[in-house]
Amino acid sequence: MSFDVVLRSIFSAVFFASVLRISTPIILAALGGLITELSGAINIALEGIMLVSAFTGVVVSAYLHNTLLGVLAGIAAGVLIAALLGYFALYLKANIILAGTAVNILATGGTIFLLYVLTGDKGNSSTLASGMAPNVHIPLIKEIPFIGTVLSGHHIFVYLAFVLTALLATLLYRTRLGTHIRAVGENPVAAASLGIDVRKTQLIALLISGFLASFGGLTMSMAYLNIFQREMTAGRGFIGLAAVYLGGRKPWGTVLAAIIFGFADALSNQLGSLNIPSQLVQMIPYAVTILALAVYAVREQTLKRERQRKFQEQEEHLLKGETA
Amino acid sequence: MKKTSLLQRPAVREVLRVLLAISIALIIGFIITLLVSKEPFEAYKMFLIGPLTRLNRAGEWIKESITLMLLGLSVALVFKANLFSLGAEGQMLMGALTSGVIALFVPLPGYLRIPLALVVAGASGFIWGAIPGFLKAKLKANEIVSTLMLNAIALRFYDYILIFFIKRPGAGYNASDCFPKDGVLPTFIPNLPFLQDVYQLFNTKANVTIMLYIALIAVYVVWRLMFRTPYGYELRMLGANENFASYGGIDTKRTIVLTFAISGILAGLAGAHLGMGIHQKLIANITVSLAFEGIVVALLARNNPLMVPISALAYGYLRAGADIMERSADVSREMVLIIQALIILLVTAERILPMIKQRIETRKNMSAGAPLAATQEQANISEGGNDVI
Repeated sequence: MSFDVVLRSIFSAVFFASVLRISTPIILAALGGLITELSGAINIALEGIMLVSAFTGVVVSAYLHNTLLGVLAGIAAGVLIAALLGYFALYLKANIILAGTAVNILATGGTIFLLYVLTGDKGNSSTLASGMAPNVHIPLIKEIPFIGTVLSGHHIFVYLAFVLTALLATLLYRTRLGTHIRAVGENPVAAASLGIDVRKTQLIALLISGFLASFGGLTMSMAYLNIFQREMTAGRGFIGLAAVYLGGRKPWGTVLAAIIFGFADALSNQLGSLNIPSQLVQMIPYAVTILALAVYAVREQTLKRERQRKFQEQEEHLLKGETA
Repeated sequence: MKKTSLLQRPAVREVLRVLLAISIALIIGFIITLLVSKEPFEAYKMFLIGPLTRLNRAGEWIKESITLMLLGLSVALVFKANLFSLGAEGQMLMGALTSGVIALFVPLPGYLRIPLALVVAGASGFIWGAIPGFLKAKLKANEIVSTLMLNAIALRFYDYILIFFIKRPGAGYNASDCFPKDGVLPTFIPNLPFLQDVYQLFNTKANVTIMLYIALIAVYVVWRLMFRTPYGYELRMLGANENFASYGGIDTKRTIVLTFAISGILAGLAGAHLGMGIHQKLIANITVSLAFEGIVVALLARNNPLMVPISALAYGYLRAGADIMERSADVSREMVLIIQALIILLVTAERILPMIKQRIETRKNMSAGAPLAATQEQANISEGGNDVI
């Protein structure tokens, strides 16, 4: 394929539409990562939560012949897994990263194990007739030539991802609970001294995180594909965690970062036809994340030093005032 | 009275906790087997004694345990400093890749090529480990995210080199040629005249390589490093209390970078073992299902290098047993993942033992009618959980 054909296919409406679809599970996982990151109880188990939700959604929708029930069961399963993590990490005082790793392992093993018990196949759920989330055609917008193709006709989770982002932003910055969550993450001791129940707040953040990430899993198995495959989340939970840092720990920044990851993924598929190795393209967002991590850390340090300097100046000022 | 004092010794409690966790996990595993299998006893028997039934199965077990030993040491070192690393996968991939390239393409005789490959594998693990260490030490960048990112980068880099440079053009699957004999680790039994029979037996049936000795040497070296060198002292101080360590004049930044880097060497060697010992070629997904196994091994060994071989053998035994169970019964090998997850959860849950103790005590008190003791017990619990990992 020649260069300009590929270039044209990259800057086409269909391509941008596919970027949106590929990004959706990452956005949803990242939202789940964001709220726990802000609460200080880092959720490394996003991957596992997504897997369990993806699996539960497919199985329940297949056995009950009802897509909505499948989705609801998937969400419930995701929240339950988050609760398990919260119980062990916050109440039994297990190290949260180890407990999160255990949950991921449990999810990987458990879903494959149950898949085999239910279908006799360890690869995928092709023998189950599972439900599929509906597509949404937005009236008016779908008529607009380029934008219509990009924005309209996606499955419902694509739109839900943006709605949930707006809701999460409101929750975090406009409500009492959100303030508590951020306060607990910023300085748990200070928050506790003001009478905030740190453990309960972190548990709520974890449960909301499970709720959000479970949509990411359902997107994978009931919308992006219509099947459950073993280990189908393929690291998207971890990418979501990375997007939180790349996005500067802000809701819309996180979404943008998730879309960058989706874009790199979609782009690498396209460039494969130009003999540009897809692996190299896919590497870029990870490298950028490390860079962002470093930049963020440096900025944080400078801010801290700045604050300390100001504090000292004020102290000196006060002391001078006293002596005078 | 003597019995309680024994139980209160921390080392005894640690061992008890680990054994209790493993037993509970195995019992839950058995209950699951009962639920799903048509012949649960046969299946679980294969799981529990499978690796000992044939020489080649025992060989698989030992080979697996060698990898786990190196990974466990790698993680134990980082944990001991109260740091965290999920980067073993990336370091393994880099070690496998660089040692594989040397095993395949460097025209040296085996006695030079293999040491060179191992040194280079260790060096590439060192570099890949030093990066998150540097980011953590100099910039205070979150090491969990940075190690995960470096894993993702290493995976793509490995695939890229494998597919575009190493794989024979036109080959249907993503793998290198088999390593030449000079690039494969030799069997752990030397090829001497009077050992001819044993050598032949192991060479054909259960190819455990000299990596066994290297792993055992690594155990000793890491132990020595941790407990008999200034660096080890700094590492343990850092693990006990970072602020105290730096007030005490320890260059914590240097210690952090070094710890991550040395941990990388060990994971890099594990990668070399995968390529030059187990698969004897480079394949796609060479580290599959090994990414976080070092964590379990280090946890079970309570970060003590001398305990790592035991926990690696024990855990490797479960993994090998699960493989055999899958092949000879109707239960899939993923059950071992469930058991593994349960072990991690139960071992890390600081509060479980005190909680069980409390239950027993309250029951005793209920029958004896001594309400005062309950408050005392409460005080005991709060001092129970102090170490982080």
